[in-house]
Amino acid sequence: MLKIGLRSVLAHRLRFALCTVAVMLGIAFVGGAMVFTDTLATALKKQFAGSTADITVTPVDPVESRNGPPPTLASAVVSEVAAVAGVAEADAQLLVSDVQIRKPDGSTIDTYGLATYGAGWPHAISTSPFRLIDGQQPFGTAELALDQSTASKAGYAIGDQVRIVSATRAVTAKLTGIITPAQAGPAAGAPLVVFDSATAQLVLLGKPGWTSIAVTLKPDADTEQVRTAIAKAVGDPYNVRTAAQVEADGETALDTTFGGFSSILLMFAGLALFVGAFLIVNTFAMQVAQRSRELAMLRAIGASRGQVTRTVLAEALVIGLIGSTLGLLLGIAVAAGIHFAYQQLGAAIPSAGLQITPATIIACYLIGAVLTLAAAYPAARRAGRLSPMAALRDGATIPERSLLIRLLFGGFLLLMAGCLYAVANHAGGMPGAVLIGLASAMALLGIVLTSPLVSRYAVRALMAPFGRKAAVTLGRRNAERNPRRTSATASALMISVALISGLVVIAASAKASIDASIAAAIGTSDLVIGSSDPDTFSPQVADRVRKLGEVAAVHQVRQQDGKVDDIPVRLTGVGDGTLAGPISVTLDSGSLDGLAKGQAVVPRTLAKTLNVSPGKTFTLVTTSGTHKLTVAGILSPNRQLNAIVVALPTYESFGGAPADSLLYVDVADGTSMAQASTAVLSELKDYPSIQVRDQQAYAAQARGPVNAAAGVIGMLLALAVLIAILGIVNTLALGVVERTREIGLLRAIGMDRPQLRRMLRVESIAVTLLGALLGLLVGVLTAAAIQRVLVDDGLGVLDIPVLQLIGAMLVSALIGVLAAVWPSRRAARLNVLQAIATE
Amino acid sequence: MIVNEAAVRAVGVTKRYGAGQTQVDALVDLSADFGKGRFTAIMGPSGSGKSTLLHCLAGLDQPTSGQVFVGDVELSHLPEKQLTHLRRDRIGFVFQAFNLVPTLTAFENITLPLDLAGRTPDRDWLRTVIDTIGLTDRLKHKPSELSGGQQQRVACARALASRPDVVFADEPTGNLDSQSSADVLGFLHRSVREFGQTVVMVTHDPSAASYADRVLFLADGRLRSELLDPTAETVLDTMKSLDPAVAG
Repeated sequence: MLKIGLRSVLAHRLRFALCTVAVMLGIAFVGGAMVFTDTLATALKKQFAGSTADITVTPVDPVESRNGPPPTLASAVVSEVAAVAGVAEADAQLLVSDVQIRKPDGSTIDTYGLATYGAGWPHAISTSPFRLIDGQQPFGTAELALDQSTASKAGYAIGDQVRIVSATRAVTAKLTGIITPAQAGPAAGAPLVVFDSATAQLVLLGKPGWTSIAVTLKPDADTEQVRTAIAKAVGDPYNVRTAAQVEADGETALDTTFGGFSSILLMFAGLALFVGAFLIVNTFAMQVAQRSRELAMLRAIGASRGQVTRTVLAEALVIGLIGSTLGLLLGIAVAAGIHFAYQQLGAAIPSAGLQITPATIIACYLIGAVLTLAAAYPAARRAGRLSPMAALRDGATIPERSLLIRLLFGGFLLLMAGCLYAVANHAGGMPGAVLIGLASAMALLGIVLTSPLVSRYAVRALMAPFGRKAAVTLGRRNAERNPRRTSATASALMISVALISGLVVIAASAKASIDASIAAAIGTSDLVIGSSDPDTFSPQVADRVRKLGEVAAVHQVRQQDGKVDDIPVRLTGVGDGTLAGPISVTLDSGSLDGLAKGQAVVPRTLAKTLNVSPGKTFTLVTTSGTHKLTVAGILSPNRQLNAIVVALPTYESFGGAPADSLLYVDVADGTSMAQASTAVLSELKDYPSIQVRDQQAYAAQARGPVNAAAGVIGMLLALAVLIAILGIVNTLALGVVERTREIGLLRAIGMDRPQLRRMLRVESIAVTLLGALLGLLVGVLTAAAIQRVLVDDGLGVLDIPVLQLIGAMLVSALIGVLAAVWPSRRAARLNVLQAIATE
Repeated sequence: MIVNEAAVRAVGVTKRYGAGQTQVDALVDLSADFGKGRFTAIMGPSGSGKSTLLHCLAGLDQPTSGQVFVGDVELSHLPEKQLTHLRRDRIGFVFQAFNLVPTLTAFENITLPLDLAGRTPDRDWLRTVIDTIGLTDRLKHKPSELSGGQQQRVACARALASRPDVVFADEPTGNLDSQSSADVLGFLHRSVREFGQTVVMVTHDPSAASYADRVLFLADGRLRSELLDPTAETVLDTMKSLDPAVAG
């Protein structure tokens, strides 16, 4: 049976080419994601997860924040560790990320998104992750060392003055030493600046402290015993790990980081395969219908039902295997391309060669084969049910199964989706949004199942504006004649369009919400000073700006991450009058008076979650410890200030880093914004990471990430649309083959080629518009529902970009036109006489 | 009635398929006139070239050499588009089977050539034609809901709907029982008698040919004989004289 299947595939190459492409595109995503992740992880684990110390002691970070100042430990702890039996040496180390190293021209060195590290010079050579190559160890606040690669890239030689900007301070110091890049640990391969340890504490942390202790054991000591002893000595707030444990943790961290990326790729793989499955289902259904006589003949000459079914499945298997092979190759090429691009960027990712694991190959083939077989199965089973008598009858057709079960199940799904929407609306917040996503997935499936029922009427209504010319009527009727096929073809497009339009509406709403909240929140302030990479900056900046004649007042805002009941929160410290002027807030209840007494204002959503009201207390955990806070007031949703707010003195008493996150600047009377902006910029020109923006620019910057995210997701979704278009081309092309005789007849009685093309174009547009409209409907409704439940979580405004959506419909119609080009060219080339003579 | 003016003329038509050893001459230097307002039948054994002749006359196929005129238009040099429009506007077709577009109703099928041309149908003429085929009550039905004979009558009505210069019928009764055949042939006959239409029909059935005014007999791509005002008997006799095999 495999032989017959293989022959059939070869005989109908064209017909199967599109199926193969669909499988290939889906599998390319799967393969690409797996190969890329494996490659990156192998390369990074090789270098990043190592450790040079026998045992490492680090403070537990209660907040697990990825940005902001690192948790530190005091010198007393180092002494405690050194006193433990079996410890030969306990070396306190200091390593801080988010440091900027400036080039001689004042710009920041390029890091391509990787962190730049600052460190203190180690006491012990044995546990040091780097070595001195040239010059001398830096000493005092006026000297530093750089790693060799950074120094040569930036063009520094020993004796040059180098400017360093940390989260807390900016200094200029003389380059006295060149070191190797770090060989292990998080800073491995990254740009690195080193001070002597006292200076490092001052410049990098802004306060005394260390980030870890590297322990060297006495030769005869048992690692595990000493580890336990150290853990006992230092107590709970410290992680005490052996070299092996550090390595394992490093790998886990890498998996978390890159796991996110690869799961996004895999999600799109799933989408591509799902959409592709519609194409395969349709192809095989049409294929079996067209070959019903041939298959019935097989039955008549003695093939069993099972054998006929297996013949069709064998074809599917062949396609699945070919598609998987091509997809795997394409996936490897894609992964290699991404990897190559990374290397070209000069990022410090070591090369490890492409990792093509057996798991990847097996997964690709398994998914490709199983998917194709599953998609072809319904058609294969119907082929097996063909009566041998069908071979003898003219125009044998396979009886279609009743739509009833499909409709009932589809209706049930739609009903369930409706209920789920109601529940989601009640739940609100992120859980509500997730439920709505689920409900929409159910609704889409429900529509897929029930759409054959409505497709006829929908097509008729949609195509009404195209008039009643003969070719138009014929094309429309062709779209109506097989509702199952039309709706399956349209469904693939519907799903893609639903995702895209949902994304468009949510992105537009997010932007509109940002604009609205910024307009409402930046009350009276004229300029906003902020920074990126690092996100915080030295209080020196505020002092210098305050001295300017063009400036009337500067409001400092500090922020750090914290946790309440294990919920990540943001803590904001504001000065007197900041909430009355530059940030305008409204309170649901309570008042701002409590701030001066050390109390806190809590955002509405958090208050709801914690079930607190003014006068109640809650416990806040920050990097520096736990703090009891009393609620002074409840804050209405506010984008500028979606955080627990305390007064600056309270914030400082919590031990937060002395660094500002934002400065709101009031311009002096009689000074124009432009003048003030210029003055501030020229004062701060040695801080290139600092940005001075007015409201418009601030809003634009806040919208940036939304745009970027929407762009990336949109591009990946475009691939799903591409597969859906292939599906339309496929259905039309197969329809042309199926209706060869009819087309011959039409040509004979006087349909000219433009009319024939128009007929197919109309059919294509009908299918496309049906899919696009249903998709648009589901997408927009989903987005609107999500906006409703997230109204307190930053999506305050619903913005449906009507023009964009109308544009999307027009583009869909255009896609329909394009999809018809190739099939109609084939149809127009048909020889009239041969076409009429076709069986 | 003017009978000596030709609606369709073939002048020295040769149709050759293949080349070299596999070369087959389907038509050899064949000339014939098909008079206006006449019902002409073309007969001949399988492979005699009768269908090829019909296809060449109708502009569906190009002769290898020779000329075909529909009215005063010579077909061999017409571009594809004009050939198509000629078929649409001046020629009607009835095929052996699969004559109708399954997605259109009987009425829509009848008016299809007119709709394709963007012409408004002549209502009186259309009513006359539809009355004559006797399917007034089935006009809203799809082809799949009609019997084979009914489908062929709808096809005939379609062929006549645009008042073409000539109707070509290729074995129109080939798939029908005798009663349905009689209906279809009677209709073609009446369209010539009563409405002055021109019909050229290929058939291998002597009783079908007996409805015609004239029968042309083809064999091996050549015109062999001609019979005026035929009956089933005279047709059969002529066939016997041309092909001994039929006599048996």
